[in-house]
Amino acid sequence: MDYIIDVKDLRKEFTSHSSRSGLKGAFRDLFTRNYTIKTAVDDISLQIRKGEMVGYIGENGAGKSTTIKMLTGILTPTSGEVRVNGMNPHKDREKFVRSIGVVFGQRSQLWWDIAVQESFRLLKKVYNVPDEFYNTHMADVIKTLAIEPLLDKPVRKLSLGQRMRCELAAALIHNPPLLFLDEPTIGLDVLVKLKIREFLKEINAKYGTTILLTTHDLSDIEALCERVIMLDEGKIIYDGALQQLRENWGEGKQIQFLFTEDVFMNELQELTKEHLVVWEQGTNASTWTASVENDEEIISAVIGKVVAAKRIADLKIVEITTEEIIRNIYEEGAVRNG
Amino acid sequence: MSYFSIFFQYAGQYLKTRLTYRADMAVEIFSDLLFQAVNLIFILVVFGHTSLLKGWSKDEMVFIYGFFLVPFAIFGAFFNIWDFTDRYIVKGEMDRILTRPIHSLFQIILERMELESLFGVVTGLAIMFYAGNNLGLSLHWYDPFIFLILVAGGALVYAGIFVTLASIGFWSDSRTDIMPMMYNIGNYGRYPVDIYNRIIRYVLTWILPFAFVGVYPAAYFLGREEWYIYAFITPLIGVIFFAISVFLWNIGVTKYRGAGN
Amino acid sequence: MGKYLEMIRIRFLMMLAYRTNYYSGILIYSINIGAYYFLWSAIYGDKPSIQHLSIVQMTTYIAVAWMARAFYFNNIDREIALEIKEGKVAIEMIRPYNYLSMKMMQGLGEGIFRILFFSVPGMVIVYFIFPIQFTSHPATWLYFLVSIILSFVINTQINLLTGIATFFLFNNDGLIRAKRVVIDLFSGLILPISFFPGWAQSIMGYLPFQGISYIPSMIFTEGFQGSGVIHGLLNQALWCVVLFIPIQVLWATAKRQLIVQGG
Repeated sequence: MDYIIDVKDLRKEFTSHSSRSGLKGAFRDLFTRNYTIKTAVDDISLQIRKGEMVGYIGENGAGKSTTIKMLTGILTPTSGEVRVNGMNPHKDREKFVRSIGVVFGQRSQLWWDIAVQESFRLLKKVYNVPDEFYNTHMADVIKTLAIEPLLDKPVRKLSLGQRMRCELAAALIHNPPLLFLDEPTIGLDVLVKLKIREFLKEINAKYGTTILLTTHDLSDIEALCERVIMLDEGKIIYDGALQQLRENWGEGKQIQFLFTEDVFMNELQELTKEHLVVWEQGTNASTWTASVENDEEIISAVIGKVVAAKRIADLKIVEITTEEIIRNIYEEGAVRNG
Repeated sequence: MSYFSIFFQYAGQYLKTRLTYRADMAVEIFSDLLFQAVNLIFILVVFGHTSLLKGWSKDEMVFIYGFFLVPFAIFGAFFNIWDFTDRYIVKGEMDRILTRPIHSLFQIILERMELESLFGVVTGLAIMFYAGNNLGLSLHWYDPFIFLILVAGGALVYAGIFVTLASIGFWSDSRTDIMPMMYNIGNYGRYPVDIYNRIIRYVLTWILPFAFVGVYPAAYFLGREEWYIYAFITPLIGVIFFAISVFLWNIGVTKYRGAGN
Repeated sequence: MGKYLEMIRIRFLMMLAYRTNYYSGILIYSINIGAYYFLWSAIYGDKPSIQHLSIVQMTTYIAVAWMARAFYFNNIDREIALEIKEGKVAIEMIRPYNYLSMKMMQGLGEGIFRILFFSVPGMVIVYFIFPIQFTSHPATWLYFLVSIILSFVINTQINLLTGIATFFLFNNDGLIRAKRVVIDLFSGLILPISFFPGWAQSIMGYLPFQGISYIPSMIFTEGFQGSGVIHGLLNQALWCVVLFIPIQVLWATAKRQLIVQGG
């Protein structure tokens, strides 16, 4: 099986100088400087097959953007092997970028002062897209993204959501088999997000477009990606199915109790000592959360024991969200299953 | 695919945007004219106090200046990269450039072109004809062709120096004022280099070869045979310096660190 | 007042951080002075003096004009234009200081940095290479000091004016460029005003530009003597006051426009 993205031991280091403090320090900096090396991406390996939609997640500064920039040929790796679409991105850059589409959520690909369709026309020329193909393919993209009415407006007059849809269209002018999306839904409202997700699914189904997407918004990942790759301090800490992540980490449920009086941790632990329960105090001594395995019997037993011993005002059972799962993983800094 | 057709596509877009802001364009041409006038005034005022400058007459000086304006205008129209570090490295616009399938330097030339600078070609030619007429210069049939080649060489010299300076931005994105100051140094190539001492003459010929934008090629048309050798290597120097700068640029691109690091 | 002093200090530190700028700056200023020195030597030829300036005075004039430029020169016009375009000025307005004074202080911080770390060492270098004469009269040094402070004020005021003009023009780059060119010529940086033909001199007499470079440089080279010095300083002081008026008017109009259009 050929991989569309094949990365081995990829590493990127940045050297930076640190400034000394104060006037005297600044003056010394004129002559000598302190340099430090920071490893942004630390020997990662990953493979992505054609047609996959993969979520690439991590906290700020975890190395997501740096990885994406190496995969798109913007940055040259310090060491390691990268093959994307069978090419070495930074070596054959001009040839390579024809085979990818890139959308940076915080940076426009379009020309600020000119109408959207003029930008498209320029890009068509830049990517040397034949007329017939452009006409049929773009007509389709424009229709699906519903950007027809925006075409004759200059980009600076568009709202963020309108602009983002146009950015997506612009990235697809040459119908690339691989699409990189860096924070594509940042700052967008729910409706636009839905529309964009819908569209991505559609092109994935229709053209088999492989999509690698970084985002802060896990609902994007939940809606689109079967696979997630998680990054922490430059290292991959999880690479696998989103479903499995949930099963391994999110199989538990939480039971939230609101008692009519203050209760103590040891009382609750004593009550539920037969089961594996993690008790956590809420905002005050009368609100407590019990994390338990997702098993009806256990849940019933725990609730039964607690309610029998203490008077409660309210009770709620909630599933752990992906967001919480991920927070847990980062807090523990390790993964049980890769 | 041809870079030419892409160039015309961009140029067409450029004109469209520019025509929407006609007032700006007028101010820009006006400020260019002012700049050209100031330098001319300098020469004229100086010659109010002397009749010869190391054997060069006023009209010869004016002619050199007129010649200089032509390659300089072409350079100014296409290599508007004095704020490259700020605009593309610090603000990270280079990311976008590098995701497109055209040579990065060429894209920046396209994005930053300022075609109104080409107006300087007209001013330059006018000044040359005026001074040439005073000097009684005559043209051979091949002179216009030589002129084009020498102008191209001069423009490449300028481009080479400034692209090299811009490339520094890939290694160090700290703010520098080298670029604007280099424009000042560029002006010294307009004066006959024999007025300078050896070191400066050497610098202006071989290190920052601004003399190949003004005095050397102009010497050909002025019939100053002692400088012919320099006049004729102008295109060669231009190609060499430009090739070096593109080479450095290409290395620089691999050192690009991206924004926000 | 404390916050303005802090602004000067911060700018000063910022300048120190850019060391490539620093080294290249000294080099390029020296080359500039050198090139003009040779140009003027050629212009003088065998003549002992032109317009009452000897070649030594002329060289000193150029050296001092460029070194003084390091002090009065700043980019606050560009900075203001950028802040207006990016809409940052509206935020600056609600801060508890006067925006224009703040900009001036930033310029001063830059200027102090350059004159200490740039002009002074640069001047020493140039002194050993070219025939330059420093006066031994303490009074001249004092007058020069007052004069370059005034020249800083005048130049900065003009920068503020061009900067604020961005409110009224869509794209201000042309104006800023034109201003720079005009100042180089009419301030006497590249050519002493006394070299111009009489009619041009009398026009320039009505403009503020000669206060930027010509007057301090003439004071330093002792091209101005006695009452000439006082006259020059008064001219500069007068322009400092006069230029204050259009700045206030434009700024008030700009602020009103900012409120109406919301930046």
